[in-house]
Amino acid sequence: MRAAVGLMLSHGGGGVEPAMSRPDYEQSALHHSCLLVLLRGVGPSRARVLQRAFEKVRRVSHIRVNDSAGNPRSIWIRFVHDHPVEHNDWGDFQTHRRLLGLITIGRFDNQTELNELCRQHESLKVRYGSTLYESRAIFFGPDEPPLDTIGEGQAPPISGRRLQDEFTTPSNFRSQAFFYREQDTCADLESRIGDFASALFWVLESRRLERSREKADKVSLLLAPFEKRDFVGLDMESRNNRKRCVGRVMKNLADLSLQAGLVDDALSLYHNANETLKSVGDSLWVGASEEGLCAASAMLLYPQMREIETLHRNSSLQEAGTSPLKSTPEKWRASDATKKVTAGEVTANNVDSAQRVTSNSSSCSSVSSLVTTATNSSASDTPSTSSSSSTSTISAAPIPGHQRNGDLPGNILKAEEITNYYRKAIINYSKYRHAATIETEAALKASRICIEQNRPLDVAMFLQNILYINLSMSEAEKVKRFEIITELYQQIGYQRKAAYFQRLAALQHVKQGSQAPDWNQSYRLMLGSFTGYLLCLDPLEVLENAAGWPALQIDLVQTLITAARRLGHSALATRHMTFLLQTQWDNMSPTEQSEMAVQLQNLSAQCEGSPVPLVLENGTVIPPANLTDLPYCLDCQVKDLPAHLRPQRIKVAKADSGPFLFTPIHFNSVDRRDKKKDKNKIAFLWVQNDLSEVTVRLRNPLPFELAVTDMRLLTNGVVFESLPQTIVLQPHVPTYVSLHGTPIETGQLDLQGYSTHTLGVKSNCRLKHMRGRSFPPNYLVDVIPALPRIGVKTSLPQTATFSNMNSADIVVTSASLTLYNGESSCCTITITNESTTLPLEYLEVGINSNVEQELQKKIFRIDEEALKTKLPVPPLGSIDFDLHIYAEADFVCPQPPASLNSGAAGGDYGAAASLAPYSNMSTSGHASLPSRVGSPQHRRHEPQNSSFRSTISAGQHSLAALSLQPGGGGGGAGPSSLGSQYSQHIEAQVRLKYSGGEALTAGYCRQCAVSFNLELLPSAQITSWDVLPAEVASQFYLVLDISNLTAQEMSLNYTDTKNILIEAKESCRVPIPVDRCSLEQVVAARAAEVAENLERELCFRTQLLSFNDALSKLCSIHIAERVKINWLLTGTDIQGVASLRGIVLSQSMVDLTAVSPLQWSISFQETPVQPHSEIACTVGQRSLLSIQLANQSLQPLRNLVLSIKFYQDYLNGMENYNLETRVAISGPNKIAIPLLEKQEQRQHTCSVIFFTPGRFKASIECSSNPQQKQSEHQSDMFSSSYDEQQAHVWKFIPPIEVTVVEQ
Amino acid sequence: MAFCIAVIGKDNAPLYLTTSDMEQELELQYHVHAALDVVEEKCLIGKGAPESKELYLGLLYSTENHKIYGFVTNSRVKFIVVIDSSNVALRENEVRAIFRNLHMLYTDAVCNPFYIPGESLTSKKFDRAVQKLMSGNA
Repeated sequence: MRAAVGLMLSHGGGGVEPAMSRPDYEQSALHHSCLLVLLRGVGPSRARVLQRAFEKVRRVSHIRVNDSAGNPRSIWIRFVHDHPVEHNDWGDFQTHRRLLGLITIGRFDNQTELNELCRQHESLKVRYGSTLYESRAIFFGPDEPPLDTIGEGQAPPISGRRLQDEFTTPSNFRSQAFFYREQDTCADLESRIGDFASALFWVLESRRLERSREKADKVSLLLAPFEKRDFVGLDMESRNNRKRCVGRVMKNLADLSLQAGLVDDALSLYHNANETLKSVGDSLWVGASEEGLCAASAMLLYPQMREIETLHRNSSLQEAGTSPLKSTPEKWRASDATKKVTAGEVTANNVDSAQRVTSNSSSCSSVSSLVTTATNSSASDTPSTSSSSSTSTISAAPIPGHQRNGDLPGNILKAEEITNYYRKAIINYSKYRHAATIETEAALKASRICIEQNRPLDVAMFLQNILYINLSMSEAEKVKRFEIITELYQQIGYQRKAAYFQRLAALQHVKQGSQAPDWNQSYRLMLGSFTGYLLCLDPLEVLENAAGWPALQIDLVQTLITAARRLGHSALATRHMTFLLQTQWDNMSPTEQSEMAVQLQNLSAQCEGSPVPLVLENGTVIPPANLTDLPYCLDCQVKDLPAHLRPQRIKVAKADSGPFLFTPIHFNSVDRRDKKKDKNKIAFLWVQNDLSEVTVRLRNPLPFELAVTDMRLLTNGVVFESLPQTIVLQPHVPTYVSLHGTPIETGQLDLQGYSTHTLGVKSNCRLKHMRGRSFPPNYLVDVIPALPRIGVKTSLPQTATFSNMNSADIVVTSASLTLYNGESSCCTITITNESTTLPLEYLEVGINSNVEQELQKKIFRIDEEALKTKLPVPPLGSIDFDLHIYAEADFVCPQPPASLNSGAAGGDYGAAASLAPYSNMSTSGHASLPSRVGSPQHRRHEPQNSSFRSTISAGQHSLAALSLQPGGGGGGAGPSSLGSQYSQHIEAQVRLKYSGGEALTAGYCRQCAVSFNLELLPSAQITSWDVLPAEVASQFYLVLDISNLTAQEMSLNYTDTKNILIEAKESCRVPIPVDRCSLEQVVAARAAEVAENLERELCFRTQLLSFNDALSKLCSIHIAERVKINWLLTGTDIQGVASLRGIVLSQSMVDLTAVSPLQWSISFQETPVQPHSEIACTVGQRSLLSIQLANQSLQPLRNLVLSIKFYQDYLNGMENYNLETRVAISGPNKIAIPLLEKQEQRQHTCSVIFFTPGRFKASIECSSNPQQKQSEHQSDMFSSSYDEQQAHVWKFIPPIEVTVVEQ
Repeated sequence: MAFCIAVIGKDNAPLYLTTSDMEQELELQYHVHAALDVVEEKCLIGKGAPESKELYLGLLYSTENHKIYGFVTNSRVKFIVVIDSSNVALRENEVRAIFRNLHMLYTDAVCNPFYIPGESLTSKKFDRAVQKLMSGNA
């Protein structure tokens, strides 16, 4: 540094180009009136420590001095940090360019350092010696050693010893120095600087006076540095040149007056000088005087511009705070300074200006105007300052925004004139190549004034003009020029222009061929120009605004990326590239898109991008950019848990909520809450610690394979553990991707999107940032406490196919079983608690199937109580329970309608029908049955099986026969009534509801199911049946045709002792002795039925049950209970029980089944007839037949007809009743008994004579005819006798057999 | 004759831009973009007296190589024409003529019922005509 300075000094005289090399870009018009002071920190770089001192010194920028005449002067100081020495050479041209004062500030620790500081101060003094009036040095010494304070009474009380006593300045140091301790408050520093300033003023004043007293004809020619050669050899004494001299001196004097605070004088002097110089055509100096005029006027008109300097620093900060894109740049309409002064510090200025007013006495109308500006008050309340400049009656033309009524000098330039004068000055300057710097500065000053005047177009004009000025300068200077232009454009709100120049400045920094490209600066400027192109660092904001010129934005960001890359800040480059892809994706062509993507990949190879804000060294925060749409998410779906793991509410008995099941009035808040429910609320639940899933459909918009790694769900709310997912997406093919994760806590989970890692960049893709798709901003899922999980196994083999029953999705395992009808089996279900922590505390087993509930209960049976005792199941423990399965089926074929009618029909028709089988039997006979009953040999218990078997092929007339052709009439057995002749498929689900732990208390459970596939094969079937009287009255024979529907030989066990073998697909007939249905049961059934009928009548139901239905049911149940047919497939261990449930009995069968209400006692020839006893008599002999009837039932019987008939049984199915010629009965053979009370006995005796020998049979029966009863006793239902509505026939069985022999 | 012709929407988004020199397109775009500040300023001034509103904004600014002229329609669509500075022969009246023609072309183009105002102009016919206008034989 010092060497450089030395070099400059040595060349200082003439060799160097006399033009100022460096324009002072900060200069404003008001600086013309300032005294220039160099404020410099010296010594080792400790300027930071001394910052406070600098601030204090800077604060003294304005002092008031009373001149020799007692008039106050307003003196302004401009502190500069650096001042090129050659600028001093222009001091004659414009005096404010001269450096008048020097202040150095330094810190030392010891004498050597102090010496060095002094030396530097002195060298600076030497450098600027030609113009310097005064200098000061401020030294900060080491802090006082704390122990030495005692015993130094004479020193100032606070600081024990004075620094200057401790250290001494070198002998050659002749400046005035101020010493301070480092921690000193420097309270007197400001006043000392004030003294310094006034010292400067007095020197300046003396110079001014000296100049003003110069004789007009003695003055020498003042020259601008480059003019020196021009006037060599010219006649200085010519009239023209004399005038030139005088004009220039006048102008110089005006400058000095301006600096010395005599603005009015300066104005008039400038005017005069301007006139004088114009007349000699001294353009350069004409320009200078014009500029001087402008400066002096501006000083009076815009005193607030002085504030600009101090406020500038803050203004940049404030602008940074507000987002430039959000509010479209509000057109700037007033100077920053004006705004700030008026708005911000009114009070402060008031105080300040009030001081000024009181101290003012003359020529300081500017101050009064300042008051008005500051307070915005009208002229009336302005204190009437005793203004000496009474001439200034003509005030400046009112400027919009600046009401100025104070007294201004008459020759002041009006606001709009200033611009014109500046323009003229610039034109004048532009005639001289060497005045380029002056010209540039003038243009800048002019634009600053125009900013103040709120004339943006003029600002633009002046600034644009700067670019034309051909100024040879270094790259750095050019950049500086662009930057200052940028700043000025920004001040007038021309963001685009500003951005344009900022970008130019940035490019200038790194121009090709530049020796030391400064990428850092370039980057900073580039970033600064963002606002002008409506870009901002936050990609979301850019996307939201979607404004600006895409082409320029892309270009700018790309340049920025280059700068960042060259800076070596690859993280930044990656970030900007990501930003570019995110924000400008839609504005790029597909080729560009893929190019950028590849570039990003290359960049991120150096530094991976991640979604965290980057902070630059200068504090700029670069918000994260995310590749939200790369890959492009087409679809997002939150998945429920698999059905068998889905949580359900445990159903609890509802609290009694009154008699209404539904009420439109909602008392509780449940429904209101439902309405408020967010759209993004997911209807189902997730379970803590259970793997959950979200499916997204992604599309890769790039023409190459895109690898997306580490895809995870982004969540808020409860802790959620996401599982990373990696996929490779083919170009343009939508792909489904499942993202998994496990909620760790319970509560509400907020699914916000997913994160990706693609092209080397980590991105957080949030749903709310995905545009153009109707995604909610997030999904909310409730997570409930953890539920246990179970594994289910069965002891049965699994089915190949799953059922298609309802909720088949909850099935976890299956079992299949094939059973023959009537067979029983057992399935063991093992439940394992698979969770490692939670016990299984609740288990509910239910069965669902495709058969009726009743039937289902018969087929499946679970011992729930036993199961309950096994709970709870500890973690990882297991229990098992049995499911009993019985192959329930109807073994009884449905009866053909013909055989059913007797049961259903009532009245006389029923009586006829019930009689029919018997009459049938008696007329046509049966091959086997009568033989069994009638023939003696049959009576002797011969093996009856054979007889049945033999008759199977014969025509069966009496039995309610049913053909067994497959697919025939009986084949329509649906699942509700299980026909036994075809195999049946039953599908069932054993549903297990289970829960445990906290979730149980919260009322949740899970449900899974075991699917059962049950195949029921036909085994035995009862195709037809009949009821025959047995040999004893207490029993009857149930005769069944049983067919074996299996493919194997079947062994039937139909009574305790009797077995029969049936070939496959064969059938056989078996008689089964069964006890009759007791009378008590009948009575009970009847009573129940009566009661029911009564109830029905009360309910005004007309259709009454016929008693017969009840009785028939009773008999049917009676039979089903007693008869169990066990079957066994021979050769296997398959066995089962066929029940007779559902057998339908006709009326006649019912009569046989139930115990007869009539007790017969018959005697023939005075001998009681025993069953199967032989009775013999001779031809022609009268035999006495006595019949005694007793009513055993609890009801009286009415309308009975006792009939006696003799017939001959030919044992071939023929029965002959035409026995008029063979037998005769005395008395009627039909006796009517109108009423037989209970326990009443009736006797009927008659005589029988047989005319021919032979074997005769007597059929004795008692029939009831209900018809008359109905007419007579319509009303008394209770007293109605046993079965009055039905026709009944009670026979004496077996029939009496009489063998008549010849005499 | 003209370097670049740009049509800019009322929200300052570019609707159409064409240049005779593709290599300079980006640079010219920057220039055009920077000119918008002045256009806006001039529009604001014109606001005061709507009846006397002049659509032609005149020279916006000039650089070493270019002169940039502006024009604003009543619907605040802006036309910017960049002209070679070295072409001294070009008179202001000719620039006005260019704008007048451009305005008519634009009006024709937006009369297309399928054109949505505010979207960029992609009409081939318009493009051809503007190219012609730019080369100076309109």
